[in-house]
Amino acid sequence: MATFQNIIKTEWLKLKNYLSFWLLLLATAVSYPGINAIVYFGYDESTKPKNQSGQLLKMLLGNPFHFPEVYHTTAYLSSFFTFIPAIVVIMLITNEYQFRTHRQNIIDGWQKNTFIWGKFISVVLVAVLVTLFFFFVATAIGFIATTDLTKVEMFTKGKYIGLFFLQIFTQLSFAFLLGLLVRKAFIAYGLFIFYGMIVESMAGAFFKFKIQKFGGVDYGQFLPLEISDRLIPVPPFIGRLNEADYKSALAAVDKHIAYSIVFVVLTWLLSFYIFKKRDL
Amino acid sequence: MSVLQIHNLSKSFGKIKALDNVSFDVPRGSVFGLLGPNGSGKTTLLSIILDILGPDAGSFSWFGEPSTMVQRKRIGSLLETPNFYHYLSAVQNLRITQSISQRGNDDAIEQVLQTVKLYERRNSKFSTYSLGMKQRLAIAASLLGSPEVLLLDEPTNGLDPVGIAEIRELIKSLAEAGHTIIMASHLLDEVEKICDHVAILKYGKLIASGTVASVLADEDCYLVNAVDQERLIELLNQLPGVSRLAATNEGVECFIKDQSLNAEIINKHCFEHHLVLTHLTAKKKRLEEKFFELTN
Repeated sequence: MATFQNIIKTEWLKLKNYLSFWLLLLATAVSYPGINAIVYFGYDESTKPKNQSGQLLKMLLGNPFHFPEVYHTTAYLSSFFTFIPAIVVIMLITNEYQFRTHRQNIIDGWQKNTFIWGKFISVVLVAVLVTLFFFFVATAIGFIATTDLTKVEMFTKGKYIGLFFLQIFTQLSFAFLLGLLVRKAFIAYGLFIFYGMIVESMAGAFFKFKIQKFGGVDYGQFLPLEISDRLIPVPPFIGRLNEADYKSALAAVDKHIAYSIVFVVLTWLLSFYIFKKRDL
Repeated sequence: MSVLQIHNLSKSFGKIKALDNVSFDVPRGSVFGLLGPNGSGKTTLLSIILDILGPDAGSFSWFGEPSTMVQRKRIGSLLETPNFYHYLSAVQNLRITQSISQRGNDDAIEQVLQTVKLYERRNSKFSTYSLGMKQRLAIAASLLGSPEVLLLDEPTNGLDPVGIAEIRELIKSLAEAGHTIIMASHLLDEVEKICDHVAILKYGKLIASGTVASVLADEDCYLVNAVDQERLIELLNQLPGVSRLAATNEGVECFIKDQSLNAEIINKHCFEHHLVLTHLTAKKKRLEEKFFELTN
């Protein structure tokens, strides 16, 4: 087996001069501050007026962009944009199939496992970068929005940084598996979007409405994206609208940490297995 | 000693038997040609020995041991099509080859690019290359770090006549320098010009293997005819020195194994047995014809 350094070096050589990769990461880097800023400024504008309605709204919403709450709010808002780094991850694997370099890497002396380890490391790298983008955006908004920094404990909700990483890595691993299975970039990406936006929403609703039929168990929580979606429940200012649901969502987070880890492990084991068994 | 030993390899794709019980050895230092028409199983065989495909049955060993990643790094390979990252230049692509195979260094990359005459375009993206240039880059990648064994699948594919001649010269000089070269080709002429050993595949079956001199040697042959062909065949079979007979539309082809048998003896033998020949010509069985015959 090739050394860890050799795998990293080789993957780096593949990515270093790959313009599309960097452009897409840039798109991700721009979209996070974008969405958060829009919501933040919307909030700021609506709660600024000193009149009754402005103050009422502020009472209702609280301070979602203040430290430490900002990490939860921003994580939740940013999680709608997984589909951008998912393009990067799908491209990482489908490119190899398109150029037939997945074969060449083996011919040149890598084991099949080494090849998938390389991709695993790349997906971790993308997830780390995306988490960093999120962290910088959340911290920046926190500094802008928090009126009195002396009174807050900045990182009491810092666990959302970890949860965000686990969520993005779980969902990107799923995107990777799709790319590996389908091998064609556009089809894989189309499937990812179609599945994420339509199929899973429908299946989720189905399991929710038919919950009695399934012995009171909501099987929707085990859907591939839902498993990690539930790592970051809605922020309190939205949760307030339905206290009971909000509380149970918060209580379920620990369970979903375990589910997500199991899901990630299974996804990658399956990836190693598929690549090993498949003729190249 | 053998560099590569292949033992009873078989592989099927659905109902199609791509390889059927193929065995042969590649001697160290040889230029070994794998010859066969399109679809005869050459690339399947090479893919198996490079661990890209798993065989259904049989085994192979490199350098006397079962295949491992370490051994594969001692082999420079060009399999089927040149496979490179389209968005990278020749140099950047070869750095990846270098990183994976651990063969060569930056100087070696420049050197192989000069060898295949791609140095001037070394910083152009692979996607801008012509078919011939892509092929040259694939050859450069296989040469990187001067590996012990070179495995080249149709290396002259897509090259112009000058390029073809250059690559053939290159292969010869590599062989002289002691490299073992395994080359697949559907071109008889190419194998005849470059190789010293050959294995011929047809529909996945090995139909001949050995030195080029023995497998592809020109064969002396007489075309003989008479009104009574059956009797003719009977009489020719009695002659010592006949290796085999083949009935054709123009007469009976009589292949001879030693030069003691000649037209006079054949004529005399038949006449003495009361059979008058209507036709008797000496001809050389050309290689192309033989290849055609072997593979059709």
